[in-house]
Amino acid sequence: MSNKPILLYTGRTPNGFPITILLEELKAKYGKDLYDYQAIDISTNTQKEDWFIKINPNGRIPAIIDRARGNFNVFETSAILLYLVQHYDKDLEFGFDPVKEPDDYSEQLQWLFFAHGGIGPMQGQSNHFNRYAPEDIPYAKKRYIDETKRLYGVLEIRLKNRDWLAGPGRGKYSVADIKALPWVRIHAHSGIPTLDEWPNVKAWVERSEARPAFQAGLNVPPA
Amino acid sequence: MPSDKRFTLYTHKLGPNGWKVSMLLEELGLSNETDVKFLEFDKKEHKQAPHIELNPNGRIPTLVDHGNDDFAVWESDAILLYLVEKYDKDGKFALPDANDKFLQLQWLFFQASGQGPYFGQGNHFLFSHPAVLPTAVKRYQDEAQRVINVLESVLSKQEWLVGGKFGIIDIALFPWHDIALKVLFSPGSYNAEKEAPHVHAWYKRVSERPAIKKVWDE
Repeated sequence: MSNKPILLYTGRTPNGFPITILLEELKAKYGKDLYDYQAIDISTNTQKEDWFIKINPNGRIPAIIDRARGNFNVFETSAILLYLVQHYDKDLEFGFDPVKEPDDYSEQLQWLFFAHGGIGPMQGQSNHFNRYAPEDIPYAKKRYIDETKRLYGVLEIRLKNRDWLAGPGRGKYSVADIKALPWVRIHAHSGIPTLDEWPNVKAWVERSEARPAFQAGLNVPPA
Repeated sequence: MPSDKRFTLYTHKLGPNGWKVSMLLEELGLSNETDVKFLEFDKKEHKQAPHIELNPNGRIPTLVDHGNDDFAVWESDAILLYLVEKYDKDGKFALPDANDKFLQLQWLFFQASGQGPYFGQGNHFLFSHPAVLPTAVKRYQDEAQRVINVLESVLSKQEWLVGGKFGIIDIALFPWHDIALKVLFSPGSYNAEKEAPHVHAWYKRVSERPAIKKVWDE
Protein backbone atom coordinates (compact mmCIF):
# COMPACT_ATOMS: atom_id res chain seq x y z
CA MET A 1 0.00 0.00 0.00
CA SER A 2 1.67 3.20 -1.15
CA ASN A 3 1.83 6.27 1.04
CA LYS A 4 2.64 8.48 -1.91
CA PRO A 5 -0.19 10.88 -2.69
CA ILE A 6 -0.02 11.02 -6.49
CA LEU A 7 -0.87 8.22 -8.88
CA LEU A 8 0.22 9.30 -12.35
CA TYR A 9 -0.92 7.72 -15.60
CA THR A 10 1.59 8.66 -18.23
CA GLY A 11 3.73 7.70 -21.22
CA ARG A 12 6.93 8.69 -22.94
CA THR A 13 5.46 11.73 -24.66
CA PRO A 14 6.11 15.49 -24.55
CA ASN A 15 2.89 15.91 -22.58
CA GLY A 16 3.75 13.22 -20.03
CA PHE A 17 7.29 14.43 -19.35
CA PRO A 18 6.37 17.85 -17.89
CA ILE A 19 4.61 16.03 -15.04
CA THR A 20 7.41 13.60 -14.29
CA ILE A 21 9.95 16.43 -14.55
CA LEU A 22 8.03 18.59 -12.05
CA LEU A 23 7.57 15.64 -9.69
CA GLU A 24 11.31 14.92 -9.85
CA GLU A 25 12.08 18.63 -9.30
CA LEU A 26 9.78 18.63 -6.24
CA LYS A 27 11.55 15.51 -4.98
CA ALA A 28 14.93 17.20 -5.38
CA LYS A 29 13.74 20.35 -3.65
CA TYR A 30 11.76 18.91 -0.71
CA GLY A 31 13.22 15.44 -0.40
CA LYS A 32 9.82 13.77 -0.80
CA ASP A 33 8.92 11.24 -3.47
CA LEU A 34 5.31 12.12 -4.19
CA TYR A 35 4.29 9.65 -6.85
CA ASP A 36 3.66 6.22 -8.21
CA TYR A 37 3.12 5.93 -11.91
CA GLN A 38 1.47 3.57 -14.33
CA ALA A 39 2.78 3.58 -17.87
CA ILE A 40 -0.03 3.61 -20.41
CA ASP A 41 0.69 2.23 -23.86
CA ILE A 42 -1.17 4.67 -26.07
CA SER A 43 -0.44 2.60 -29.17
CA THR A 44 -2.97 0.05 -27.90
CA ASN A 45 -5.56 2.68 -26.93
CA THR A 46 -5.59 1.66 -23.30
CA GLN A 47 -6.43 5.26 -22.45
CA LYS A 48 -9.80 4.95 -24.20
CA GLU A 49 -10.93 2.06 -22.01
CA ASP A 50 -13.85 2.65 -19.64
CA TRP A 51 -11.78 2.56 -16.44
CA PHE A 52 -9.51 5.29 -17.70
CA ILE A 53 -12.34 7.41 -19.10
CA LYS A 54 -13.66 7.58 -15.52
CA ILE A 55 -10.42 9.27 -14.53
CA ASN A 56 -10.17 11.46 -17.62
CA PRO A 57 -13.25 11.80 -19.84
CA ASN A 58 -10.98 12.98 -22.62
CA GLY A 59 -9.14 9.64 -22.67
CA ARG A 60 -5.60 11.03 -22.96
CA ILE A 61 -2.47 11.00 -20.86
CA PRO A 62 -1.25 12.40 -18.54
CA ALA A 63 -3.81 12.21 -15.75
CA ILE A 64 -3.34 12.03 -11.99
CA ILE A 65 -5.32 10.87 -8.99
CA ASP A 66 -4.47 12.62 -5.72
CA ARG A 67 -5.04 9.97 -3.09
CA ALA A 68 -4.28 12.45 -0.30
CA ARG A 69 -7.14 14.70 -1.37
CA GLY A 70 -10.03 12.32 -1.64
CA ASN A 71 -8.94 10.80 -4.95
CA PHE A 72 -9.36 14.08 -6.80
CA ASN A 73 -8.60 13.56 -10.52
CA VAL A 74 -6.74 16.09 -12.66
CA PHE A 75 -6.29 15.95 -16.45
CA GLU A 76 -4.65 18.32 -18.98
CA THR A 77 -0.89 18.66 -18.50
CA SER A 78 -0.91 22.35 -17.63
CA ALA A 79 -3.72 21.99 -15.10
CA ILE A 80 -1.78 19.14 -13.44
CA LEU A 81 1.35 21.32 -13.25
CA LEU A 82 -0.54 24.17 -11.59
CA TYR A 83 -2.28 21.74 -9.24
CA LEU A 84 1.00 20.17 -8.09
CA VAL A 85 2.53 23.61 -7.45
CA GLN A 86 -0.54 24.71 -5.50
CA HIS A 87 -0.63 21.70 -3.21
CA TYR A 88 2.92 20.39 -3.09
CA ASP A 89 5.27 23.33 -3.68
CA LYS A 90 4.91 25.28 -0.45
CA ASP A 91 7.84 27.62 -1.17
CA LEU A 92 6.52 28.28 -4.70
CA GLU A 93 9.88 27.31 -6.12
CA PHE A 94 8.33 26.48 -9.49
CA GLY A 95 5.37 28.86 -9.52
CA PHE A 96 4.00 32.22 -8.40
CA ASP A 97 1.52 33.40 -5.80
CA PRO A 98 -1.66 34.50 -7.60
CA VAL A 99 -2.49 36.99 -4.83
CA LYS A 100 0.94 38.34 -3.89
CA GLU A 101 2.51 38.20 -7.37
CA PRO A 102 -0.55 38.50 -9.59
CA ASP A 103 1.16 39.84 -12.70
CA ASP A 104 3.96 37.26 -12.60
CA TYR A 105 1.28 34.62 -12.08
CA SER A 106 -0.67 35.97 -15.05
CA GLU A 107 2.45 35.96 -17.25
CA GLN A 108 3.13 32.39 -16.21
CA LEU A 109 -0.45 31.54 -17.24
CA GLN A 110 -0.08 33.34 -20.55
CA TRP A 111 3.04 31.40 -21.48
CA LEU A 112 1.47 28.20 -20.21
CA PHE A 113 -1.56 28.70 -22.46
CA PHE A 114 0.77 29.67 -25.31
CA ALA A 115 2.62 26.38 -24.92
CA HIS A 116 -0.54 24.39 -24.26
CA GLY A 117 -2.67 25.84 -27.05
CA GLY A 118 0.08 26.76 -29.52
CA ILE A 119 3.28 24.77 -29.33
CA GLY A 120 1.79 21.44 -28.29
CA PRO A 121 -1.03 21.19 -30.84
CA MET A 122 0.83 22.80 -33.74
CA GLN A 123 4.08 20.90 -33.31
CA GLY A 124 1.91 17.85 -32.71
CA GLN A 125 0.21 18.34 -36.06
CA SER A 126 3.66 18.66 -37.62
CA ASN A 127 4.56 15.31 -36.07
CA HIS A 128 1.36 13.80 -37.42
CA PHE A 129 1.71 14.91 -41.02
CA ASN A 130 5.48 14.45 -41.19
CA ARG A 131 5.67 11.08 -39.52
CA TYR A 132 2.39 9.32 -38.92
CA ALA A 133 -0.20 10.32 -41.50
CA PRO A 134 -1.11 7.56 -43.95
CA GLU A 135 -1.18 10.05 -46.83
CA ASP A 136 1.63 12.38 -47.89
CA ILE A 137 0.26 15.93 -47.89
CA PRO A 138 3.07 18.42 -48.56
CA TYR A 139 0.87 21.44 -47.85
CA ALA A 140 -0.01 20.19 -44.35
CA LYS A 141 3.57 19.22 -43.56
CA LYS A 142 4.78 22.69 -44.48
CA ARG A 143 1.91 24.47 -42.72
CA TYR A 144 2.71 22.95 -39.35
CA ILE A 145 6.49 23.11 -39.61
CA ASP A 146 6.19 26.80 -40.53
CA GLU A 147 3.84 27.47 -37.61
CA THR A 148 6.13 25.63 -35.20
CA LYS A 149 9.04 27.76 -36.41
CA ARG A 150 6.95 30.88 -35.92
CA LEU A 151 6.19 29.82 -32.35
CA TYR A 152 9.90 29.23 -31.68
CA GLY A 153 10.45 32.77 -32.97
CA VAL A 154 8.05 34.07 -30.33
CA LEU A 155 9.97 32.20 -27.61
CA GLU A 156 13.17 33.70 -29.03
CA ILE A 157 11.81 37.23 -28.52
CA ARG A 158 10.76 36.46 -24.94
CA LEU A 159 14.04 34.79 -24.02
CA LYS A 160 16.21 37.74 -25.08
CA ASN A 161 17.97 38.85 -21.89
CA ARG A 162 16.02 36.24 -19.94
CA ASP A 163 16.85 32.78 -18.70
CA TRP A 164 13.24 31.62 -18.21
CA LEU A 165 9.81 32.52 -19.55
CA ALA A 166 8.12 33.95 -16.45
CA GLY A 167 9.18 35.90 -13.40
CA PRO A 168 10.87 39.23 -12.79
CA GLY A 169 14.29 40.17 -14.16
CA ARG A 170 15.85 37.29 -16.01
CA GLY A 171 13.00 35.08 -14.86
CA LYS A 172 12.62 31.98 -12.76
CA TYR A 173 12.41 28.33 -13.82
CA SER A 174 8.72 27.56 -13.53
CA VAL A 175 5.95 25.34 -14.82
CA ALA A 176 5.70 27.57 -17.91
CA ASP A 177 9.18 26.41 -18.95
CA ILE A 178 8.57 22.82 -17.84
CA LYS A 179 5.47 22.61 -20.05
CA ALA A 180 7.14 23.93 -23.20
CA LEU A 181 10.62 22.39 -23.00
CA PRO A 182 9.78 18.72 -23.69
CA TRP A 183 8.16 19.82 -26.96
CA VAL A 184 10.84 22.25 -28.06
CA ARG A 185 13.68 19.84 -27.32
CA ILE A 186 12.26 17.28 -29.80
CA HIS A 187 12.30 19.77 -32.66
CA ALA A 188 14.32 17.38 -34.83
CA HIS A 189 11.61 14.73 -34.53
CA SER A 190 9.11 17.31 -35.79
CA GLY A 191 11.00 18.33 -38.91
CA ILE A 192 13.21 21.15 -37.57
CA PRO A 193 16.78 19.77 -37.53
CA THR A 194 18.50 22.42 -35.40
CA LEU A 195 17.68 25.34 -33.09
CA ASP A 196 20.56 27.42 -34.51
CA GLU A 197 18.10 29.93 -35.94
CA TRP A 198 16.90 30.70 -32.38
CA PRO A 199 20.00 31.00 -30.17
CA ASN A 200 18.13 32.16 -27.04
CA VAL A 201 15.78 29.19 -27.34
CA LYS A 202 18.72 26.84 -27.90
CA ALA A 203 20.45 28.15 -24.76
CA TRP A 204 17.21 27.79 -22.77
CA VAL A 205 16.85 24.16 -23.80
CA GLU A 206 20.49 23.44 -22.88
CA ARG A 207 20.03 25.20 -19.54
CA SER A 208 17.10 22.94 -18.68
CA GLU A 209 18.87 19.77 -19.81
CA ALA A 210 21.69 20.52 -17.37
CA ARG A 211 19.27 20.04 -14.45
CA PRO A 212 19.51 16.52 -12.97
CA ALA A 213 15.81 16.45 -12.05
CA PHE A 214 14.89 17.43 -15.61
CA GLN A 215 16.89 14.47 -16.91
CA ALA A 216 15.40 12.20 -14.26
CA GLY A 217 11.88 13.19 -15.35
CA LEU A 218 12.70 12.39 -18.98
CA ASN A 219 13.44 8.85 -17.91
CA VAL A 220 10.02 8.10 -16.44
CA PRO A 221 8.70 5.75 -17.68
CA PRO A 222 12.07 4.36 -18.74
CA ALA A 223 12.67 3.67 -22.41
CA MET B 1 -2.38 57.85 -27.38
CA PRO B 2 -3.64 56.90 -23.94
CA SER B 3 -7.18 55.62 -23.71
CA ASP B 4 -9.64 57.16 -21.31
CA LYS B 5 -11.21 53.74 -20.82
CA ARG B 6 -9.93 51.16 -18.41
CA PHE B 7 -9.26 48.50 -21.06
CA THR B 8 -8.19 48.32 -24.69
CA LEU B 9 -9.15 45.08 -26.38
CA TYR B 10 -7.45 44.16 -29.64
CA THR B 11 -9.66 41.70 -31.45
CA HIS B 12 -11.15 40.69 -34.79
CA LYS B 13 -14.70 40.58 -36.06
CA LEU B 14 -14.57 36.92 -36.99
CA GLY B 15 -12.26 35.53 -34.34
CA PRO B 16 -14.05 33.22 -31.89
CA ASN B 17 -11.30 33.69 -29.33
CA GLY B 18 -11.86 37.44 -29.31
CA TRP B 19 -15.59 37.00 -28.75
CA LYS B 20 -14.91 35.06 -25.55
CA VAL B 21 -13.39 38.16 -24.00
CA SER B 22 -16.13 40.49 -25.27
CA MET B 23 -18.74 38.18 -23.78
CA LEU B 24 -17.08 38.08 -20.38
CA LEU B 25 -16.65 41.86 -20.36
CA GLU B 26 -20.38 42.18 -21.05
CA GLU B 27 -21.24 39.64 -18.33
CA LEU B 28 -19.10 41.65 -15.89
CA GLY B 29 -20.64 44.95 -16.94
CA LEU B 30 -17.31 46.20 -18.26
CA SER B 31 -18.12 46.68 -21.96
CA ASN B 32 -18.49 50.42 -21.46
CA GLU B 33 -15.03 50.58 -19.98
CA THR B 34 -13.46 48.90 -22.99
CA ASP B 35 -12.04 50.51 -26.08
CA VAL B 36 -12.43 47.80 -28.73
CA LYS B 37 -10.02 47.82 -31.64
CA PHE B 38 -10.86 45.45 -34.48
CA LEU B 39 -7.64 44.59 -36.25
CA GLU B 40 -7.54 43.98 -40.01
CA PHE B 41 -5.76 40.74 -40.69
CA ASP B 42 -5.28 41.35 -44.40
CA LYS B 43 -3.35 44.49 -43.52
CA LYS B 44 -1.33 42.35 -41.06
CA GLU B 45 -2.15 44.76 -38.23
CA HIS B 46 -1.95 41.93 -35.71
CA LYS B 47 1.69 41.33 -36.61
CA GLN B 48 2.74 44.99 -36.45
CA ALA B 49 3.18 47.71 -33.86
CA PRO B 50 1.41 48.59 -31.65
CA HIS B 51 -0.13 45.15 -31.28
CA ILE B 52 3.02 43.05 -31.73
CA GLU B 53 4.75 45.03 -29.00
CA LEU B 54 2.01 44.10 -26.56
CA ASN B 55 1.76 40.46 -27.65
CA PRO B 56 4.85 38.90 -29.23
CA ASN B 57 2.70 36.10 -30.59
CA GLY B 58 0.77 38.56 -32.77
CA ARG B 59 -2.61 36.90 -32.32
CA ILE B 60 -5.91 38.19 -30.98
CA PRO B 61 -7.29 38.75 -28.45
CA THR B 62 -4.97 40.94 -26.43
CA LEU B 63 -6.26 42.98 -23.49
CA VAL B 64 -4.44 45.99 -22.06
CA ASP B 65 -5.40 47.01 -18.53
CA HIS B 66 -4.77 50.74 -18.18
CA GLY B 67 -5.89 50.45 -14.56
CA ASN B 68 -2.90 48.17 -13.93
CA ASP B 69 -0.05 50.13 -15.47
CA ASP B 70 -0.95 49.10 -19.02
CA PHE B 71 -0.38 45.42 -18.19
CA ALA B 72 -0.97 43.39 -21.35
CA VAL B 73 -2.67 39.98 -21.20
CA TRP B 74 -2.88 37.59 -24.14
CA GLU B 75 -4.12 34.03 -24.70
CA SER B 76 -7.91 34.27 -24.51
CA ASP B 77 -8.37 31.88 -21.59
CA ALA B 78 -5.64 33.64 -19.58
CA ILE B 79 -7.54 36.89 -20.21
CA LEU B 80 -10.76 35.32 -18.92
CA LEU B 81 -8.98 34.19 -15.75
CA TYR B 82 -7.35 37.62 -15.29
CA LEU B 83 -10.68 39.47 -15.60
CA VAL B 84 -12.43 37.20 -13.11
CA GLU B 85 -9.50 37.39 -10.69
CA LYS B 86 -9.43 41.19 -10.65
CA TYR B 87 -12.80 42.50 -11.75
CA ASP B 88 -15.55 40.11 -10.65
CA LYS B 89 -16.71 42.32 -7.76
CA ASP B 90 -20.01 40.49 -7.32
CA GLY B 91 -18.42 37.08 -7.35
CA LYS B 92 -20.57 36.03 -10.30
CA PHE B 93 -17.88 33.65 -11.47
CA ALA B 94 -16.40 32.81 -8.08
CA LEU B 95 -15.72 29.18 -7.28
CA PRO B 96 -15.48 28.82 -3.52
CA ASP B 97 -14.57 25.13 -3.72
CA ALA B 98 -10.82 24.84 -4.39
CA ASN B 99 -11.35 21.64 -6.35
CA ASP B 100 -13.75 23.45 -8.68
CA LYS B 101 -10.99 25.95 -9.47
CA PHE B 102 -8.85 23.09 -10.70
CA LEU B 103 -11.69 21.47 -12.57
CA GLN B 104 -12.22 24.79 -14.31
CA LEU B 105 -8.53 24.94 -15.22
CA GLN B 106 -8.66 21.45 -16.65
CA TRP B 107 -11.56 22.27 -18.88
CA LEU B 108 -9.98 25.59 -19.93
CA PHE B 109 -6.82 23.81 -21.00
CA PHE B 110 -8.94 21.17 -22.77
CA GLN B 111 -10.63 24.01 -24.63
CA ALA B 112 -7.38 25.80 -25.41
CA SER B 113 -5.60 22.79 -26.83
CA GLY B 114 -8.28 20.28 -27.77
CA GLN B 115 -11.28 22.28 -28.97
CA GLY B 116 -10.03 25.58 -30.36
CA PRO B 117 -6.96 24.46 -32.33
CA TYR B 118 -8.59 21.33 -33.73
CA PHE B 119 -11.81 23.03 -34.77
CA GLY B 120 -9.63 25.81 -36.16
CA GLN B 121 -7.57 23.43 -38.28
CA GLY B 122 -10.83 21.89 -39.53
CA ASN B 123 -11.98 25.34 -40.60
CA HIS B 124 -8.67 26.00 -42.25
CA PHE B 125 -8.74 22.91 -44.40
CA LEU B 126 -12.40 23.47 -45.25
CA PHE B 127 -12.21 27.12 -46.17
CA SER B 128 -8.76 28.60 -46.35
CA HIS B 129 -6.94 26.12 -48.44
CA PRO B 130 -7.39 26.26 -52.22
CA ALA B 131 -7.12 22.56 -52.94
CA VAL B 132 -9.37 20.04 -51.22
CA LEU B 133 -7.47 17.69 -48.92
CA PRO B 134 -10.11 15.21 -47.79
CA THR B 135 -8.00 13.24 -45.32
CA ALA B 136 -6.91 16.41 -43.55
CA VAL B 137 -10.50 17.67 -43.37
CA LYS B 138 -11.65 14.31 -42.06
CA ARG B 139 -8.91 14.18 -39.44
CA TYR B 140 -10.16 17.42 -37.88
CA GLN B 141 -13.85 16.71 -38.31
CA ASP B 142 -13.39 13.34 -36.59
CA GLU B 143 -11.50 14.94 -33.74
CA ALA B 144 -14.17 17.67 -33.42
CA GLN B 145 -16.79 14.94 -33.07
CA ARG B 146 -14.71 13.24 -30.42
CA VAL B 147 -14.37 16.50 -28.47
CA ILE B 148 -18.13 17.13 -28.67
CA ASN B 149 -18.74 13.56 -27.48
CA VAL B 150 -16.46 14.14 -24.48
CA LEU B 151 -18.58 17.17 -23.54
CA GLU B 152 -21.75 15.12 -24.10
CA SER B 153 -20.47 12.38 -21.80
CA VAL B 154 -20.18 14.90 -18.98
CA LEU B 155 -23.16 17.16 -19.73
CA SER B 156 -25.50 14.17 -19.96
CA LYS B 157 -24.94 13.69 -16.24
CA GLN B 158 -24.82 17.27 -14.98
CA GLU B 159 -26.15 20.62 -16.07
CA TRP B 160 -22.90 22.59 -16.04
CA LEU B 161 -19.29 21.55 -16.40
CA VAL B 162 -17.98 23.31 -13.28
CA GLY B 163 -19.39 24.50 -9.99
CA GLY B 164 -23.01 23.76 -10.85
CA LYS B 165 -23.35 27.11 -12.63
CA PHE B 166 -22.54 29.11 -15.74
CA GLY B 167 -18.86 29.99 -15.79
CA ILE B 168 -15.97 31.18 -17.90
CA ILE B 169 -15.49 27.69 -19.30
CA ASP B 170 -18.90 27.94 -20.93
CA ILE B 171 -17.92 31.29 -22.43
CA ALA B 172 -14.65 29.78 -23.66
CA LEU B 173 -16.31 26.81 -25.36
CA PHE B 174 -19.30 28.64 -26.84
CA PRO B 175 -17.90 30.54 -29.87
CA TRP B 176 -16.04 27.55 -31.28
CA HIS B 177 -19.01 25.28 -30.68
CA ASP B 178 -21.20 27.67 -32.64
CA ILE B 179 -18.77 27.39 -35.55
CA ALA B 180 -18.84 23.60 -35.27
CA LEU B 181 -22.61 23.59 -35.49
CA LYS B 182 -22.79 25.92 -38.45
CA VAL B 183 -19.91 25.15 -40.75
CA LEU B 184 -17.56 22.43 -39.61
CA PHE B 185 -19.48 19.32 -40.56
CA SER B 186 -20.65 18.57 -44.10
CA PRO B 187 -24.42 18.41 -44.43
CA GLY B 188 -25.66 14.89 -43.99
CA SER B 189 -22.64 13.80 -41.96
CA TYR B 190 -22.39 14.38 -38.22
CA ASN B 191 -25.41 16.13 -36.77
CA ALA B 192 -24.20 17.53 -33.47
CA GLU B 193 -27.68 18.53 -32.38
CA LYS B 194 -28.90 14.94 -32.64
CA GLU B 195 -25.78 13.07 -31.58
CA ALA B 196 -25.00 15.31 -28.61
CA PRO B 197 -28.38 16.53 -27.35
CA HIS B 198 -27.15 17.60 -23.92
CA VAL B 199 -24.40 19.67 -25.48
CA HIS B 200 -27.04 21.22 -27.71
CA ALA B 201 -29.22 22.05 -24.71
CA TRP B 202 -26.20 23.63 -23.05
CA TYR B 203 -25.46 25.61 -26.19
CA LYS B 204 -29.02 26.95 -26.30
CA ARG B 205 -28.94 27.86 -22.60
CA VAL B 206 -25.73 29.83 -23.05
CA SER B 207 -26.86 31.57 -26.23
CA GLU B 208 -30.02 32.82 -24.51
CA ARG B 209 -28.21 34.70 -21.76
CA PRO B 210 -28.74 38.42 -22.34
CA ALA B 211 -25.05 39.30 -22.23
CA ILE B 212 -24.11 36.52 -24.65
CA LYS B 213 -27.02 37.33 -26.96
CA LYS B 214 -26.06 40.99 -27.01
CA VAL B 215 -22.45 40.36 -27.98
CA TRP B 216 -23.23 37.51 -30.34
CA ASP B 217 -25.75 39.51 -32.29
CA GLU B 218 -23.19 42.24 -33.01
